[in-house]
Amino acid sequence: MSESGANHKFAFYLGCIAPNRYPGVESASIKAMKKLGVELVPLKGASCCPAPGAFGSIDLAVFYAMAARNLVLAEQMKMDIALVCNGCYKSIWEVNHKLKHNKDLRDAVNEVLKEVDMEYKGTINVYHTAELLYNDKFIGVEKVRDSVTNPLTGARIAVHYGCHLVKPHKDREFEKEVMLNTEHPMWMEELVSALGATPVEYRNKMQCCGAGGGVRGYDIVHALDITNEKLINLKEEKVDALTDICPFCQLQFDRGQIEIQEKFGVTYNLPVLHFAELLGLAQGMSPQDLGLDLHGISCEPFLQKVL
Amino acid sequence: MARTKGYPEALEKKLHDQRYFREDSNPEFTKNVKAISRTIAHMCYQCGTCTGSCPSAPRSTYRIRKFMRRAVLGLENEALTDPDLWLCTTCYSCSDRCPRDIIPTDVIMSMRNLAFKRDIVPVNFLKTVTAIYASGHGVPNNDVNRAAREKLGLTRDPPTTHMYPEYMPGIRKILDHYKLKANADRIIKEREG
Repeated sequence: MSESGANHKFAFYLGCIAPNRYPGVESASIKAMKKLGVELVPLKGASCCPAPGAFGSIDLAVFYAMAARNLVLAEQMKMDIALVCNGCYKSIWEVNHKLKHNKDLRDAVNEVLKEVDMEYKGTINVYHTAELLYNDKFIGVEKVRDSVTNPLTGARIAVHYGCHLVKPHKDREFEKEVMLNTEHPMWMEELVSALGATPVEYRNKMQCCGAGGGVRGYDIVHALDITNEKLINLKEEKVDALTDICPFCQLQFDRGQIEIQEKFGVTYNLPVLHFAELLGLAQGMSPQDLGLDLHGISCEPFLQKVL
Repeated sequence: MARTKGYPEALEKKLHDQRYFREDSNPEFTKNVKAISRTIAHMCYQCGTCTGSCPSAPRSTYRIRKFMRRAVLGLENEALTDPDLWLCTTCYSCSDRCPRDIIPTDVIMSMRNLAFKRDIVPVNFLKTVTAIYASGHGVPNNDVNRAAREKLGLTRDPPTTHMYPEYMPGIRKILDHYKLKANADRIIKEREG
């Protein structure tokens, strides 16, 4: 691999919340991954994945067709997809997997796609960027460590894995077997260590953020109560920041803290950063370059510790 | 109900009760749940690992194990009219731990699909559909974010349907094929006037 040229190229599937609420996740991913030899090319005309909970609950047949349309756009580019959101992974990866293995579903989807001059062929794969970072076939922990110019020394950082990247593990097919451990995974902690920070574990770390399945829209207090339980467990460990790999979880923890303040009267002020933002910081990007000022909860206390 | 051959009437009645046959038991419901969920709800032995793993259970009356039983017994009305049906966050913890390799989350998803067919659906779910019909995004861009994107050196609108609206007719065609937008609009209008 030459220093300038990328040795891996992916169609970058953005989803909704990253580009439209946390654009720093988008810009940090593109820049940080480039430094690691992975080029992310825009997937033109992509739509919502669509949201596996809110949309899938209505009609799964339409859900498959809509996700397949996004997959076909990447097939036409002859590129595998990389994405930054667990919810998108559930839609895009899982529909790709289901359509590849079930002829009845594929035929039903293609009948509809024919109306828009498209055909799902099943020629590409789908990856989450966290998976690309961890798997040394693409990048690997060592290369991530070597790319760090501003180690996040001294920062205590907890990981929120989220649900839809890894669960249900019996349906997933990661090359790295440790990623199939959903009871007590440590691979994200390895990545946090690679940035120079101290990974911190906390009680019930694999619990859901509470936002998924349309529950955030259906019963916000119920959703926030789940989030609040996680925040209580995080507070016990006195962490400086929480890192996630899903913009929807990030929205629930970040903006959710403001809503928890309003509805429950509890204040945490816990900075919440997508791993791409954390990686950008460790590679020397400024908080302004990462759009950290757009976060609901100020990242300042954490930034003062690491910059 | 067909008479069980050779049993006296009293025993037959007892078996009838034990097998939990009820007026509102609909075998078609069990079949539909299986077809949509593509999982094996009938293998459930009611151990309760699912409810024990559920983040929604401790803070509500939502019991995933109960919905599994309703799937097996065909209790369609009971399942689809229960507001707890919509409290599943789809975290898949139950599915991860199920000792019978069932995916209870997908049983819930199939019941929600079947509820929608009967117009039983919270409005927020429909609004995701109408948002996607309008712009391609469930969570669309806004002016504050456009300015922020520009500062980060990104395009004001992401290179999705936002920047390329010429892709929207295709998306609307797919949604119209299933009459999803029309149904969503009709239900929202009935609820909100």
